[in-house]
Amino acid sequence: MLQGPAGAFHVISSPNSMSSASAQFATSRRMGIYEPNHQISMWGDSFKADSSQNTGASTIVEADAKHDNRLGDIPRESSGPSKKYDQEAHKPADKVLRRLAQNREAARKSRLRKKAYVQQLESSRLKLSQLEQELERARQQGVYVGGHLGDSTLGLSGTVNSGVAAFEMEYGHWVEEQNRQTCELRTALQAHVSDIELRMLVESGMSHYDNLFRIKAIAAKSDVFYLMSGMWKTSAERFFLWIGGFRPSELLKVLSPQLDPLTEQQVVAVCNLQQSSQQAEDALSQGMDKLQQTLAETLTSDPLGASGVANYMGQMANAMGKLEALVSFVNQADHLRQQTLQQMYKILTTRQAARGLLALGDYFQRLRALSSLWAARPREPA
Amino acid sequence: MQQAIPCNSGRTWFAPTAASNGVVHVTVKDRPSVDGPSTSSSSSDGGGGGGGGGGMRRLVAENPVLVVGRRGCCMCHVVKRLLLGLGVNPAVFEVAEDAEAALVDELAEIAGGSGVRQQVLFPAVFIGGRLVGGIDRLMAVHISGDLVPILKEAGALWL
Repeated sequence: MLQGPAGAFHVISSPNSMSSASAQFATSRRMGIYEPNHQISMWGDSFKADSSQNTGASTIVEADAKHDNRLGDIPRESSGPSKKYDQEAHKPADKVLRRLAQNREAARKSRLRKKAYVQQLESSRLKLSQLEQELERARQQGVYVGGHLGDSTLGLSGTVNSGVAAFEMEYGHWVEEQNRQTCELRTALQAHVSDIELRMLVESGMSHYDNLFRIKAIAAKSDVFYLMSGMWKTSAERFFLWIGGFRPSELLKVLSPQLDPLTEQQVVAVCNLQQSSQQAEDALSQGMDKLQQTLAETLTSDPLGASGVANYMGQMANAMGKLEALVSFVNQADHLRQQTLQQMYKILTTRQAARGLLALGDYFQRLRALSSLWAARPREPA
Repeated sequence: MQQAIPCNSGRTWFAPTAASNGVVHVTVKDRPSVDGPSTSSSSSDGGGGGGGGGGMRRLVAENPVLVVGRRGCCMCHVVKRLLLGLGVNPAVFEVAEDAEAALVDELAEIAGGSGVRQQVLFPAVFIGGRLVGGIDRLMAVHISGDLVPILKEAGALWL
């Protein structure tokens, strides 16, 4: 063990011998002069005194660079070392000195590193507990925290976008209700309940989706970028994100296999719906591309700033206007989703619609479960 | 004079040369700015009122499909792409911001027919001389499968 202030004394000792050895130290230090013989005899004394000593034998080294020290070879582990010391004390020991000095140096550096590391740990711990406190406070206020905290939506500084917070809460409830309804549908279909009962469930399901689009519309006015980011959804759902929600055509692909048997008329109708929704989706996507393009153009017109501040402000105002269009896009995308669902409802029988809603609810449940699994997966240590 | 011919959905629309293929894309500007394809139609003088006099009315009446929108509006672009994707070549009238209000009134009048004023939102879509509505309405009509029949009826689509 290496202990003590760097550069002054190095004591390699077992706890047992500590007290006796340190007493010897004090004496020799005060003397200021290193006398090998004296030193060794001290050793001898201490060792004799503490005959129970074994491994980790105390080695007393005077690290005084002023003197040309010549130390006998000091064995690190010994039992009954006294005789040995007497023998080796007079050997020339440059190498030993060098080695010892290197050891000291290494030990010193090691201690410094350890100190720095511990300090770092301490400050990190402090910061972590501060963050946890803030997080807890924020959560209690119903604020949305998680994901991209760097967004302008809100930071941990406490600025709350109440629209976002409200949406987060409402959406949470929406998902819970969705899950409940999905279960109910599953049970009902398995139990082969009557069409009348199914119809009630289907209509609840449809109006539940209407609710979703309603709260999304409100959130879009509050913070369209938040909606577009999909941070209110789980990660796997986000993978499928298209203008702030699911793709209508994807939805139909999920539904269709579950609906058999379909009449020929229905098959045609579903096919047409698939095509129409795809066309509408494409048009909206192209509109989004155009929006990106024009926004970029607006912002890159004058890098040298040659046209002056007024022009810059004008550009910004222009760009702001363009961003407003995003709200329209999200609204139109949601509108498309809603229209697609309602058209399906028109095409299908009650029982088919029930199966369809179940398929949808189940699909989203699985996606969310997948997200949880993914988040909890065992990872290799960094 | 003006007629729409069916084309493949993937075909992009370019400003026509004179009457070479008989298809016309009307882009009337009320300001001589550089923006999009140049017009080859003289049906409107492009005055401040957005067409002036009976110009607008004539546009609505004469084109099977007319899209009226703000200049540079991306929703207008969406409408255009949707229609083009269906194989329709819509006539497009782009209006500048300050001419908007007046144009809305005029269009409402045209659309109202018997004096009943409808609310006009941009982009506004006229098919067969009648106001279908804004993008909301257009999407809904398309999803319910009614758009293509209307287009065919207006002679904008052959098939």
